[in-house]
Amino acid sequence: MKKMLLIALFFFSVVLAACGNGNNADESEASDGSWEPEESIEIVAPAGAGGGWDTTARMVAKVLGEEGMIEENIGVVNKTGGGGAVGWSYIANYEGNPYKLFVASPPIILIPLNGQSEYGHEDFTPLANLIADYGAFAVREDAEWDDLNELFEDMKDDPDSVTVVGESAPGSMDHIQFVQIAKAAGVDITKIRYVSAQDGESLTQLLNGSVDVYSTGMAETVEQVKADNIKVLGITAPERLEGEVIEDFPTAIEQGIDETFVNWRGFFGAPGMDEASIAYYEDKFKELSDSEAFAEIRDQFGWDEEYMGHEEYKAFLDEQKEQVQVLLDDLGLNNE
Amino acid sequence: MGAIEGIITGFQTAFSLQSIFFVMIGVFIGTFIGMLPGLGPISAIAVMIPITFGMDPTVALIMMAGVYYGAIFGGSTSSILLNAPGVSGTVATSFDGYPMAQRGEAGKALAIAAIASFVGGTVSVVLLMLLAPMLASVAISFSPAAYFALMLLGLTAISSLSEGSTVKALISAVAGFMVVTIGIDAQSGTQRFTFGNTNLLDGLDFLVIALGLFALAEVCTLILNRKDKSIQNAHKIGSLKLSKQDWKEMTGPMSRHSIIGFILGVLPGAGATIASFISYITEKRISKNPEEFGKGSVKGLAAPETSNNAATSGAFVPLLSLGIPGSGTTAVLLGAFLVLGVQPGPLLMTDQPEIFWGIIVSMYIGNIFLLILNLPLIPYIAKILMVPRPMLISLVIMFSMIGVYAISFNTFDLYMLLLFGVVGFLMRLFSFPAPPFILAFILGGMLEQSFRQSLTISNGSFSIFFQDPIAVSILAVAALSLFVPLISKLRKGNNNAKKKH
Repeated sequence: MKKMLLIALFFFSVVLAACGNGNNADESEASDGSWEPEESIEIVAPAGAGGGWDTTARMVAKVLGEEGMIEENIGVVNKTGGGGAVGWSYIANYEGNPYKLFVASPPIILIPLNGQSEYGHEDFTPLANLIADYGAFAVREDAEWDDLNELFEDMKDDPDSVTVVGESAPGSMDHIQFVQIAKAAGVDITKIRYVSAQDGESLTQLLNGSVDVYSTGMAETVEQVKADNIKVLGITAPERLEGEVIEDFPTAIEQGIDETFVNWRGFFGAPGMDEASIAYYEDKFKELSDSEAFAEIRDQFGWDEEYMGHEEYKAFLDEQKEQVQVLLDDLGLNNE
Repeated sequence: MGAIEGIITGFQTAFSLQSIFFVMIGVFIGTFIGMLPGLGPISAIAVMIPITFGMDPTVALIMMAGVYYGAIFGGSTSSILLNAPGVSGTVATSFDGYPMAQRGEAGKALAIAAIASFVGGTVSVVLLMLLAPMLASVAISFSPAAYFALMLLGLTAISSLSEGSTVKALISAVAGFMVVTIGIDAQSGTQRFTFGNTNLLDGLDFLVIALGLFALAEVCTLILNRKDKSIQNAHKIGSLKLSKQDWKEMTGPMSRHSIIGFILGVLPGAGATIASFISYITEKRISKNPEEFGKGSVKGLAAPETSNNAATSGAFVPLLSLGIPGSGTTAVLLGAFLVLGVQPGPLLMTDQPEIFWGIIVSMYIGNIFLLILNLPLIPYIAKILMVPRPMLISLVIMFSMIGVYAISFNTFDLYMLLLFGVVGFLMRLFSFPAPPFILAFILGGMLEQSFRQSLTISNGSFSIFFQDPIAVSILAVAALSLFVPLISKLRKGNNNAKKKH
């Protein structure tokens, strides 16, 4: 009986401990204006375990710790919900706190524009971008199209004849990357038929012939291409990439469609971080990006190196937002 | 390398001391996590990803697979003893498992669940081993139209999941449909019923609803009836031994649902939860004594328990042979593969046969361990029922809350849990059955999405549902299962009427 009580008490205290992460960031600026962390750093992955954000956050935390780049403990916390919105509203509560970071990618631009988050990239402090990934458009191996131009010609003649599938909802990543390239090719993007299918069903639907084109990340296509089940008509990178199989994927640009879409991934801090902490993190992320250990991880996951410091990153994000805004206006999906 | 050589490699890998050891650890953690209401394999596997980094990938994956099917195996325990499903795949287990335990036969109920799980798990591994290479094409054979038909077939069971008023069952199901639409609509990107609340954007988690409607509602009922002497039996554990009659009753459902569960597991998106429900209602349909279901029927317990374990092995077909994760748990498992540097897909079987076959063969060992681990523990686990009722009730409430909090570490989910506890209690008070609600919640999301995907693909033409042969055959079965009982009822009525004249 007493044992039961003890177990109960134990779990109760675990729950309490998990709830009680207060906000007690005291400033620790040295006399020369530089800043060093004096307590553990929390990196939020605004999604569940096992996804892209989670993997990036955990890998970065691991290298920063193992290589001794940051002495303080770095913990990764998952804040799942709303495609990121739950995590962002959590971070937004820590105005000026230099110990709360989060990993971000294009959804932080897309989701606020879709009207699904009150916070966007302007509300936070972009610290540094680390990696880039690109989209790929795949069709079945026996499909009638051999390159993007053939596909887009057919879509121009009869937009109703082609169905595109992706994991995310309209107005989000998989949809927008396709629309952006298609628009540059002259397709009427308001007529594109897009289906969203979760839980691995999008690839299923491509393979069984229910849909025609699969808009996804490059890494997701590699195994199927190797097995001759699908072929990649084009990728959204500015130039060809290195690596087995991937090197054979033609870019949209080399097919005469002058457009790219970058699935960038980097780190943001809480709103209103001061200059000294920004400089500190910028520095550490640069060191990380240049390290051997992180290069290995990039190779393992097929990520491209794409470092940007604070200022450059900010300008890049604003530009990205403008671009997407135009697309969403065309599609009638701009809900900001 | 041929399949036979591959299988031999698999046996060599799986029967190495190291593998056996880690399978044991995996299934032990899995059973334990599964037994706690609310805590599921997703969180367990996610926690293991950083720990296993640097381990031999084969061994690490064998262990994580063990956590996955171990959790489904163990999940039945809290469904049976406390009416608080441990994982979503074991909600249907509580329909007959809990009444059986309340009758003073908890030992028997747990033994049936363990044996059914073992049979379902083992038969499906045999199928997996023999057919995995061929099944890859089955896994992708379902178009959105076929999924829609399958979900519709599941829904025809609403009437059979309820006793008493069909109208009340339908109202309950409609409420379930409405609740599942909460969140961002995947096909249009618009928000539905979120009231501007960020926490509702992803909709409600299945466990919030299941633990609210079942565990918390049950707690309320227990508190209200605390002076009722008739439920005193619930303290008894009863004998573990199954009678000859029990064995006889179990054989049918176990053999049927090993196969049904496995096939549904192979289909991405269907999975253990849907499989267990479809098995439960199929068994009730074909039973000669459907009135026993929901009151502690042996068949009603064996069917979903066999099926959810069989589906778990089935889910490895699309994962290993296509790289397609069919569920939330397998998606996390896929993440674990990638972190360990293994890319599941069509080439895994030829490129890394030791991993592909090693995982499959290790599941035999895992299932045997699970049986050995679970059977002797039953008397001890069942002792939880001896805990004085006020204590037990508090424990159920607490574990439900921990489980729900662990989904996404968000206190908002706890309020939702309480809300659905109250809703569940009111539903009982006014005798609205909860199973149709939960069935509609499980099937509704996919029903709607696949319906709209189909119509987008066909440019709005309904003919798409009648062109796909799989969809047509399933729709025909659905129509039959809806109208045949109706017609036979009418006929009986006519006969009775004639006799009276």
